[in-house]
Amino acid sequence: MEKRTFQDINTLIELFENSEWRELSIEVEDFSLHLSRDEGAAGSARRPTLPARERPADAVAEAPPTAEAPAPAAESANDEELDSLTVVRAPNLGLFYRSPKPGAPPYVQIGEEVGEDTEICLIEVMKLFTPVVAGVKGVVRRICVEDGALVEFDQPLFYVEPVTGPGND
Amino acid sequence: MSRLFVANRGEIAVRILTAARSIGLETVLGVSAADRRGLGPELADRVVVLGPAVPARSYLDEKLTVQAAISTGCDALHPGYGFLSERASLARLCESEGIVFVGPRAETIDALGDKLSARKLAVASDVPLLPGTPALHSADDACADAEEIGYPVVIKASAGGGGRGMFLAERADDIRGGFTRASEEARAAFGSGLMYMERFIRNARHVEVQVFGDGNGKVLHFGERDCSVQRRYQKLIEESPCGILPEGTRARLHAAAVKLASDLAYRNAGTVEFLYDSDTDEFYFIEVNARIQVEHPVSELVTDADLVALQLKVAFGEPLELAQSDIESRGHAIECRINAEDPDHGFRPAPGDITSWSAPGGDGIRLDTYCRAGERVSPYYDSMIGKLIARGADRDDAIERLDLALGAFEIGGLRTNLVLQQFVVRHPDFRNNAISTRWLEQTGLPAFAERQQEPHHGAH
Repeated sequence: MEKRTFQDINTLIELFENSEWRELSIEVEDFSLHLSRDEGAAGSARRPTLPARERPADAVAEAPPTAEAPAPAAESANDEELDSLTVVRAPNLGLFYRSPKPGAPPYVQIGEEVGEDTEICLIEVMKLFTPVVAGVKGVVRRICVEDGALVEFDQPLFYVEPVTGPGND
Repeated sequence: MSRLFVANRGEIAVRILTAARSIGLETVLGVSAADRRGLGPELADRVVVLGPAVPARSYLDEKLTVQAAISTGCDALHPGYGFLSERASLARLCESEGIVFVGPRAETIDALGDKLSARKLAVASDVPLLPGTPALHSADDACADAEEIGYPVVIKASAGGGGRGMFLAERADDIRGGFTRASEEARAAFGSGLMYMERFIRNARHVEVQVFGDGNGKVLHFGERDCSVQRRYQKLIEESPCGILPEGTRARLHAAAVKLASDLAYRNAGTVEFLYDSDTDEFYFIEVNARIQVEHPVSELVTDADLVALQLKVAFGEPLELAQSDIESRGHAIECRINAEDPDHGFRPAPGDITSWSAPGGDGIRLDTYCRAGERVSPYYDSMIGKLIARGADRDDAIERLDLALGAFEIGGLRTNLVLQQFVVRHPDFRNNAISTRWLEQTGLPAFAERQQEPHHGAH
């Protein structure tokens, strides 16, 4: 097969744009191309790549959580403030969802008040969706995980600033 | 590149990860929070924490395990031994999610998992069975059957294993005294209180055949193992070949195992277990273990095979090109299970931190372990910390090497059974190969308890 040129790739992109396909993956010899209409997608959506020696969840938890936090910087807590916040952690491995169902608004936003029993996300294990409650009365200051991502046991999901004083029971 | 999920821990996780790397697979290891660090995690390309230390919420949760395998993009899953390895539901779940289960088909695991159903399969394949009964309904039932079969008899749980829900009856009173309790124990442990009975053999050896099938009816064997040194039905020392088998019996034993597995179109590695009556030179089917076993290394050492790598290759679709004539057993190999337990105090588990670790090596010595200095032996899991295996030109040679290696093995920080293993390996009955499955409990352990106390070995 002759060498693929920039023109070939442009042709493929045009073809994709004019189609109704959501995704297009091509692998020919040493060439691979992945196109997707999903803005969140990066690379092959089907198969997560393995970073060499990924750290286990606790190593992530010990490090400042900046590296993994996609939350908007303007509203999000500073790293120094995180020490005083309560961490809500994943009860087990699973897929993290911020909304009760696809397309629905998220359970909580940054800055929102939650109670101990407020459901703040879902963890999915093989089609079984289990709600996670805040476990603390307070204000959500940081959301650590992207919607749909794999979380491991004990991984920080949210940082909540506890509210003390009257009314806190 | 294909990617493998390793759904186990300890030495077998290390063993599988090493084999996977040797054939160029990427690996993901699912761990509990107690196992985040260690040799296994270091060998894996990626580690995911499934859940907390308690096995029910991590290693025993098949849905968590399969979710982890899917989300990390794995093509196949190796269950190791123990934990989820013989759950047909795991094999089924993997299959429905497009993940290759490194093991037998779910239906095979189902058919073999229940002992009564396994006995039926053995009958259908003309594999000899101990005189026994189908399901027993009551102690009175059992007493009537025992009269026919002849005492002593063993009463076992149909769904059981590892000696639980099992007892020996020399007379009717023993049955009346033990039946209900054993049945309840079985119900609690295995979810079924169904019991059956077999004739008891006084001088029994536990002899098992390593088989390997391609799933299409081709089945090879990798010789037999003698695992007669047992305590409470737990194997402590295993060897290959079985030194006391006459050649004709050995050939018939292998043929019986291969026939049974072939009739099932058995896929991947398995072990057909037999009791061998050394007084009558007869063998009887016990059960099939539908997984790789703890003691597989002795077979590997004498047949020069890598059974775990073979498991992976066949699971990933490589044809089983090996022929039976390619597999030749040479020399003798013996394995000692090294457990963190105190043989001087009722074998109580002795978890803790390993402060020093000086392992033997050299010609013919193999050590399968996840431990080293600084490793923590967790109280949540099995106490086995490693397997020391010696290969020699013959049994005596293997024993000499094993004895030296056991003597040179120093583990600090926790108690182990090294001193007991060396005691057994040096015992004249073991050296003369004059033991039975009850030898350790009846002769070996009492002798060990009365031994000349030497200063403690290694640990303090």
